[in-house]
Amino acid sequence: MSKNKFSAKKFHYLEPDYSRPVLELDKKLEERIRDKLKFLYGDESADKLYDELFRLLKVYYAHKTSEMIEWEKDFDEKNRFTEKDVILITYGDLISGKNQKPLVTLEILCKTYLKGVFNTLHILPFFPYSSDRGFAVMDFEEVDPHLGSWDDILNLRGDFRLMFDGVFNHVSSKSSWFQEFLNQNPYYQNFFTVFSTKEKISPDHLKLIVRPRTSDVLTEFRTLNGTRLVWTTFSPDQIDLNFKNPEVLLKMVEILLTYVRRGADIIRLDAVTYLWEELGTSCVHLDQSHVSIKLFRDVLDAVAPHVALITETNVPHKENIRYFGNGHDEAQMVYNFALPPLVLYTFQTGNSRKLTEWAASLERISDTATYFNFLDSHDGIGVMAVKNILTPEEIEIMALRIVEHGGFISYKAEGDGNEVPYELNITWYSALNRDDSDESRELKIKRYLASRSIALVVMGVPGIYFHGLLGSKNDADAVLEEGHTRSINRKTIRKKELLAEMDNKNSNIYQVASGLIRLIHYRIREKCFHPDAPQTILSLSDKVFSVLRTSTEGQEIIMAIINITNDRESLSIDLRMHGLKGQQWIDVLTKKTYKANGDNLELNLDPYDILWLKEKSH
Amino acid sequence: MSFKIGKKSGNITVIDCPQRLDVNISYDLKNIMTQLIEEKKFKIIINLTGTKYVDSSGLGAIVSRIAVTRSNKGDVRLVTKTKSILDLLDLTRLNKILECYDDVQTALESF
Repeated sequence: MSKNKFSAKKFHYLEPDYSRPVLELDKKLEERIRDKLKFLYGDESADKLYDELFRLLKVYYAHKTSEMIEWEKDFDEKNRFTEKDVILITYGDLISGKNQKPLVTLEILCKTYLKGVFNTLHILPFFPYSSDRGFAVMDFEEVDPHLGSWDDILNLRGDFRLMFDGVFNHVSSKSSWFQEFLNQNPYYQNFFTVFSTKEKISPDHLKLIVRPRTSDVLTEFRTLNGTRLVWTTFSPDQIDLNFKNPEVLLKMVEILLTYVRRGADIIRLDAVTYLWEELGTSCVHLDQSHVSIKLFRDVLDAVAPHVALITETNVPHKENIRYFGNGHDEAQMVYNFALPPLVLYTFQTGNSRKLTEWAASLERISDTATYFNFLDSHDGIGVMAVKNILTPEEIEIMALRIVEHGGFISYKAEGDGNEVPYELNITWYSALNRDDSDESRELKIKRYLASRSIALVVMGVPGIYFHGLLGSKNDADAVLEEGHTRSINRKTIRKKELLAEMDNKNSNIYQVASGLIRLIHYRIREKCFHPDAPQTILSLSDKVFSVLRTSTEGQEIIMAIINITNDRESLSIDLRMHGLKGQQWIDVLTKKTYKANGDNLELNLDPYDILWLKEKSH
Repeated sequence: MSFKIGKKSGNITVIDCPQRLDVNISYDLKNIMTQLIEEKKFKIIINLTGTKYVDSSGLGAIVSRIAVTRSNKGDVRLVTKTKSILDLLDLTRLNKILECYDDVQTALESF
């Protein structure tokens, strides 16, 4: 990123310093912002809105210390993400310690066990909330006192980069904003999308709206002045914000900059597909939503270029990657939603063809934007991204296999009233392994690590959910107790029990976590795994997944080969055909040397073997 | 083992479940289903008429062979009218994939 060490506590003043010169904005950037405001709100409003937005930027800028301004001069956006980036996804309270704030517990554990392994923590929404485990935010600018404080967040920033959630699509029904709407405070009347009766949306318009849930899009609320129907994409407790009201956009810009002041390096735009509602359209990924994201990007480019945006959009792959914009003007990272279901399908079927074909079609985005390669997260395994990659029958049988493994299926409503699978709720370990099978644990863990290694070698930045690091099994009881299928992979773990497992070399947690940490250690040493290092997908056999990565300066080559089956597989690789010359290859994981016979490299892989072969001459 | 296995018309197997389908016996149900699959009996009715309680492991056992039966032109179908069980299926959305009938005869006729 930058040559100098980042010291979070020295980077922002608690109060703005107006004794220094105020922010001046580059004319081109100013023009870009003005154009976007004109597109969203019309020519007449744009000038006034620009003035207010510029004021927010100046206020933020006045919080920046001179150290930060100096540090930013060295910032190189082409190396914002490198091979060293591996993101741990966790709730702030996934681990509970006795008489200790969860964020402090998290800090101690991360600093003790995960420093030098993961360099970034995605702490899922840590704000006061009313439901959906944090995604119904009551106050965007406070830390949930049950978790800790802003100081605790900043303490984590000392050793890790931080990813915050910008849950900007909706707000809790218990938030003061919505309560003020119910009180009919004039300022908040236009903060939400409100109808007086259901008939205000015609059946034709209703059919067009793409939904991620099966619940009604409108929820009835009683206000001071009578009943109103309010737009709720996700649940009756999550009230969509009305971005057609520029006050909402400005408020969110202010919150975005607050997060920067509080130590965010990456801001995850949650459910941003649904940001803008427009009757007569599908209400998903509208141009206005894209322009709003680009405006957030402009804001960050203007005053905090070290902070990146990542979009979370569980939609078909082609629509998902549109959130990169032109590669330089929208999100710097996009959740690679097709990867998890395709890796899952690959291991379920013992056939890598679909994954190989899709991976071969992935294009490099730009030198400043890349994919976020995750396999598991706090949510389920989204299947929307593979809608046009796998057939409906293939998706159905994949989903049924998940049910066989103790998982569940979440559905979304289609315009025609049908319900289709939206995501599969299961832990990644249970998705790969049957609890009741008589396979050895060694084989199960080997299969698990083989699947995880794919996300560690393909182009992009890898992310691992805390339960994925531990190889957690399904928590089906929580599903029944809490009434939510997503609870299956959100179990809170007691610190004492976790530490005991981590210290027991024979435990499943130790075996999985140490295996995964070992893979990460090797990944972060290799320049070939820089997100921008060119990749070529090799079609060696349907039983393996293979990718060739070349370091950005072209000096190093790694050929990663993963046996995705329970069978032994012999390969004869024609090196010349793949433009390779190396006669000796070293597996960076085991240091074992493989010698080519002329143009042929013969390999014998055991079930679920992982080879990261590096050309020895380099 | 507290399950009763009966072969009804053609190749359809009906498994009568006990009053409680929980962690203590769910493994037995899984074994019965596995055995049926090995015998290439892919049309299975799980009769929960006499069952009053199902826990998460019981639920897991019911669906433990759903993909393999369907891949072989069979299915796992349920018989129950018990509200708590129907609520459980609704909560977990398993009612979207499991066909549920009021009585065994109707379930048999559904194949």
